[in-house]
Amino acid sequence: MSLINDPSMREIVIDFCDESIELFNQLEEGLEILEEDPTRSEELEKFGQLIDRVMGAAKSIGADEIATFCELGKVIGYKSSQSTDTALLEVVIAILFDSVELLRKMVNQIKTGNEQGLKSLNTQAFGTRLSWLSEKFKDIERASCAVEPQSKNLSQTSIDDLMSSLGL
Amino acid sequence: MALNANMKILVVDDMATMRKIIKNMLGQIGFKNITEADDGATAWPMIENALQTNEPYQFIVSDWNMPQMTGLELLKKVRATEQTQKLPFLMITAEAEQGNVVIAVKAGVSNFIVKPFSAQVLKEKIDKIFN
Repeated sequence: MSLINDPSMREIVIDFCDESIELFNQLEEGLEILEEDPTRSEELEKFGQLIDRVMGAAKSIGADEIATFCELGKVIGYKSSQSTDTALLEVVIAILFDSVELLRKMVNQIKTGNEQGLKSLNTQAFGTRLSWLSEKFKDIERASCAVEPQSKNLSQTSIDDLMSSLGL
Repeated sequence: MALNANMKILVVDDMATMRKIIKNMLGQIGFKNITEADDGATAWPMIENALQTNEPYQFIVSDWNMPQMTGLELLKKVRATEQTQKLPFLMITAEAEQGNVVIAVKAGVSNFIVKPFSAQVLKEKIDKIFN
């Protein structure tokens, strides 16, 4: 059973919601700066770092849809921070604003335990929009905190195999 | 180093929810002596202070992506310090890119775990590190 469905873990889930909402506020503050000046690429990178936090915790409590949205937001944030196409950056900023708003609604639904409300948010269509946008940056390699340009993600099993081959 | 319930563990993550989840899992595994830090930059002075008071940490569980000092930077500091160079260090990340894993291994990570993970997987990793 994931934490999100485990009554004994409700406190952690509520903490996740509160902490995420605080991070969403910080994300919006950064987007407001970008709205004024889309060339502030460091704010897009910061967006990627902040949303990564929500992503990791969302995965851990089993809030998979939120994690997927955050993952797309993170990729878009990091990749767009390396773009100089101002027109495209303006679109990015608008969509990221919408993403944060939707994420906020999703988290609020989890906090109130209103699963029906979550289903009514039409997240699938918006997810498609985010995927479309991330495709626009497909030629930009760095999509995460990777210290080298590298995009191949590994499963835990692959990591275990890799670590064995490296002598661990 | 033998595994014991009172082993002094430091959990480092910038997301409080994650620290709670990891502490909860470590508690389920049987560990009782767990301290938290919210960034590598907070963790390092704690590690240094623990050394000075002769009560060193015996195990570090750290997230990779943190704003002030990343898990990788913390790991490098730990490995560069004589008293902590053999300190077991488990790195946690939400996504594992092959290049990152190799870099962490080169930096001396003891093992690597990807979110989401269960208490069972965490225990397996700990067993692997200490046995």
